[in-house]
Amino acid sequence: MHHAFQPLQILTLLVATSTGAQAAGDARIDFSRDIRPILATKCYACHGPDEDKREANLRLDVRAEAVKEAIRPGKPEASEFWKRISTADPDDVMPPPSSPKPLTDPERELFRRWIAEGAEYKDHWSFIPIRRPDVPVPATTNPIDAFIQARLRHEGLSPAAQASPPTLIRRVFLDLTGLPPSPEEVAAFVADPASYESIVDRLLASPNFGERWARHWLDEARYADSNGFLGDGLRPNAYRYRDWVIQAINADMPFDQFTIEQIAGDLLPNPSREQLTATGFHRNAALNTEAGVDKEQARFQNLADRVNTTGRVWMGLTIGCAQCHTHKYDPITIRDYYSFYAFFNNTVDRDEPKSKAPTLAELDKDRRQTYVHLAGDYARRGPDVMPASLSALPPMKRPTQPEPTRLDLARWLVSPTNPLTSRVAVNQIWGTLFGTGIVSTPDDFGATGEPPSHPELLDWMASEFMHKGWSRKRLIRLIVTSTTYKQSSNHREDIAEIDPLNRLLSRQNRLRLDAEILRDSALAISGMLVREIGGPSFRPPLPEDVFEVGRSSNWQASPGGEIYRRSLYIITLRSVLYPLLTTFDGPDAADACVRRERSNTPLQALTMMNDPAFVEAAQSLAARVLHGNYHDTKERLTRVFELTLNRPPRPEELTRLKAFFDEQQKRVKAGGNEALKSLSFIEKSVATPNKIEAATLVAIARVLMNLDEFINRE
Amino acid sequence: MTTSPQPAPLSRRDLLRRSGLGFGMMGLVDLLESGTARAAGQPNFAPRAKRIIHFFLNGGPSHVDTFDPKPSLQKYAGKSLPQTLLTERKTGVAFPSPFEFQRYGQSGIAVSELFAKTAQHIDDIAIIRSMQAQVPNHEPSLMLMNCGDSIRTRPSLGSWLMYGLGSENQNLPGFVAMCPGGHPVKGAENWQSAFLPGAHQGTYVDSKHTEVDRLIENIRSPHVMPEAQRRQLDLLRTLNQSHRQGRLDPRLEARVQSFELAFRMQTEATDAFDLSREPQHLRALYGDTVHGRQTLIARRLIERGVRYVQLWHGAGQPWDSHENIEANHRKLAAEIDQPIAALLSDLKSRGMLEDTLILWGGEFGRTPSVEMSGNKSKLGRDHNHYGFSVWMAGGGIKGGTIHGSTDEFGFAAKENPVSVHDLHATILHLMGIDHERLTYRYSGRDFRLTDVEGEILKEILS
Repeated sequence: MHHAFQPLQILTLLVATSTGAQAAGDARIDFSRDIRPILATKCYACHGPDEDKREANLRLDVRAEAVKEAIRPGKPEASEFWKRISTADPDDVMPPPSSPKPLTDPERELFRRWIAEGAEYKDHWSFIPIRRPDVPVPATTNPIDAFIQARLRHEGLSPAAQASPPTLIRRVFLDLTGLPPSPEEVAAFVADPASYESIVDRLLASPNFGERWARHWLDEARYADSNGFLGDGLRPNAYRYRDWVIQAINADMPFDQFTIEQIAGDLLPNPSREQLTATGFHRNAALNTEAGVDKEQARFQNLADRVNTTGRVWMGLTIGCAQCHTHKYDPITIRDYYSFYAFFNNTVDRDEPKSKAPTLAELDKDRRQTYVHLAGDYARRGPDVMPASLSALPPMKRPTQPEPTRLDLARWLVSPTNPLTSRVAVNQIWGTLFGTGIVSTPDDFGATGEPPSHPELLDWMASEFMHKGWSRKRLIRLIVTSTTYKQSSNHREDIAEIDPLNRLLSRQNRLRLDAEILRDSALAISGMLVREIGGPSFRPPLPEDVFEVGRSSNWQASPGGEIYRRSLYIITLRSVLYPLLTTFDGPDAADACVRRERSNTPLQALTMMNDPAFVEAAQSLAARVLHGNYHDTKERLTRVFELTLNRPPRPEELTRLKAFFDEQQKRVKAGGNEALKSLSFIEKSVATPNKIEAATLVAIARVLMNLDEFINRE
Repeated sequence: MTTSPQPAPLSRRDLLRRSGLGFGMMGLVDLLESGTARAAGQPNFAPRAKRIIHFFLNGGPSHVDTFDPKPSLQKYAGKSLPQTLLTERKTGVAFPSPFEFQRYGQSGIAVSELFAKTAQHIDDIAIIRSMQAQVPNHEPSLMLMNCGDSIRTRPSLGSWLMYGLGSENQNLPGFVAMCPGGHPVKGAENWQSAFLPGAHQGTYVDSKHTEVDRLIENIRSPHVMPEAQRRQLDLLRTLNQSHRQGRLDPRLEARVQSFELAFRMQTEATDAFDLSREPQHLRALYGDTVHGRQTLIARRLIERGVRYVQLWHGAGQPWDSHENIEANHRKLAAEIDQPIAALLSDLKSRGMLEDTLILWGGEFGRTPSVEMSGNKSKLGRDHNHYGFSVWMAGGGIKGGTIHGSTDEFGFAAKENPVSVHDLHATILHLMGIDHERLTYRYSGRDFRLTDVEGEILKEILS
């Protein structure tokens, strides 16, 4: 028999029910780990937060309600709940036989034990206030390491060795600036590894830092340069918001201020032009402007998008579920939803007079009353509501005006009592530097999301983030100077079975570069990169067929060097996404993209091999080295290698390259003009006597740029 | 054409198993030894089907308007149904199907006018009328239908098939997902490999395009000769391998394989995706439309040994007819009825229907009651996960069969309810796989597509 079909060995019902559930012999039932997931998926639909769908007036998501009649703590046999889930009578059994989600026997047993042990409830972890846990002993220089290593010790594991200096310098350059180091920068670091922290400081101060980290925020802000839908009209000034993000991140604007300006910059006293521009965050959504569109419906959808995006991006909640019905799993009612919606219901779209940047403004006359929209239908009004934050979270401070405004909402989001915002923000940053967040579902901190792998560390960092003035740069510095971050990413056989996803971080993760970083790296090493920061987006050359379908029929690539700018500045037209980026999982700007996939398909390989952008980069890299001041082929090969992979070749690698070079050169000579085709983009810049060597170097550059080592950050 | 997968010697596999590297490294060893990724697995028993074409009507087609006629709705027209179940939105009175049903074939099964052409093949089709999903929402139901779990991240059916059976063509991706105009809701998660080796994930093709060069970006390059590229890839492999020593990262191996596959695709895919190589009468039979073309491409792919082709209707969730279902469903069905019928005829005439499985369905069905906006009817239907229809045809399927039923009005499955796990178990069975034995060890336990459930639907097997 083929080994792929192993007999089922340890698959038990129990293990299958919940990610964290332990074997039945475990000491005590943990509500969050063992009970809530079952309640949430199998009971809350009819006995949860949603009043409209509640059956028999019983709710099981609130202990005070559940123990009134259904559950008698300590006495399962006397509890109606237990009787109903354990009876064989089809008229009484719960969930009812028509439910597609019956309970399993081990789940019943968990319930029985839970009731016997007192039926304790626990608030969902992310709704519990952030406290500052003690740093575990023994203390390490960096508190992050103390948390990570304490857990590793507990699991009987030790951390990995530190990454080699070339790997580390490449990693920190790519992570902080999205660009690779030059061979000189690598050499200087290898000679003086103690300079790591000063290099980190330099990178944090580099304007490229803002470009790199702005891209993440723009994913979340569903930033695009066009409206979307059939017309996909251009937004020629959208880039002003993008530039605001870059500048704010470069200036290390505190995250609380960063939040307030984007949600309610227009409501600040005497807002500056920049503060108005920041409100472009909520002007980024797709907008249907076609003739014949129901304007009221389009407005409703647009506002709902603002509510849903705010919920996902700042609070990590799938609040959008409550648009049509009270959330099935999280304590968000439909009333909560429309109370939240009310904050946005009197916004109007305006443009900043001078820069024409898209901004938000608040209506002062003819203000709208907000209603619950039954079943999420814009035309169906239920009871009227006032603006209010989510009822399950700590309340807002008393507003200055009779009713709270968007500014109050923004301040509430970043108030120290809000349990979500800082955790979510810290988790995003961590996820960018390790590939996966401490919460692996960064946009779902609710009951159906994954619980944090290191809850204390998450809380410690969330607290530290707020204490240190919500400074992104300080937090990033703390993380990248930790031993945990600096570990080697090499595969560890000893953890492959017990921690295949490396959730415990007994090594770094090897990450496929983001689409933008891949293209920017290729441009940087080939010397083509144009480093100008900000300004209008550019149009890269596109194959004709792509834009024909997208209806933007008059596509013209931007002139001159513009097409060699960083990928962040590539125009994002929702109907004509740039294939190079989407093939490597770039987002489509339809919704907030909180976490990108990292797929691996043969289409990516085709892009690396054949996309004109990469072909041209390989050719330019060859030309750059050919025209540099090097003595012989070996030096040139070494240089191509160092530029591409940020480390010198090992002797056997150089030998292989040289052998390939000699063989290839013979073939180019023999192949004549046909073989010189590979010079297409650079043909004119290479003098005739050098052409054969150039064509040979192009082949080498292509190979090196297609190496896994180039495509990944290790 | 297709070649049979070759099992590799057991000793090497055992060695790998003992080294704790698991299946994910298999391809690597093959690669080291033969320079090419090889078909990996073989079935548990003789398969009835070797490949699958899956029409995914994303958004949720209405069963009572297609393959599950409910004359009783007429009786209740304008009146409340005796029982309605909770769905996502508010629904009102009974909403009789606006479409005519007619009996077809020897079996005399009634099908609506929406699929009149497909219905000509009814005697080859087994309809399951008692499907159930778990919740009335798109995202979890898409995940359930594709990956067998509403919430947690799990490998898709196509990835499991790739893992279990490998591909019969080393020059094309074995699992192809086509969707015109962009991704369906949940995007690439619908064809994810999750914890299975990355090489098993689906390859997405935007089938709105017509030219091979656009269907598959960068399939050709004017800048490099294939022979030069081959030599570059050889060097690439050598350097990747020397770098891999000490890393043994399965994803590195997946990357190597993707380059090899991409290289080979350059010859094979240009052929497989090029419909100008089809005779005019066949192109006309399928129809020169986006859906006609993607269906014909699907046939060319499976003919070349591709294991699983998913044909999505379109970006987003086109079948989600909350309002004006008559016009919306009519338009959508008109786009695929002809191509589906053409595919069934074409496969039959090639003798390929015998060992090709066709699957038709969405992530759930729709309510028999009308969706309301306040007190106003929207003339559409809400999501319905309590009962809906899918059908299968081809390899190992007993045609002209109806399995299970919904209640008198089509609200919920009544006789022989079928879970998605049951459907998956049956599909795997037809492909020669015991769904309880197709497991992957990960994170300390063995996982399967069907989790701990799944009953094979023997009644629909021939």
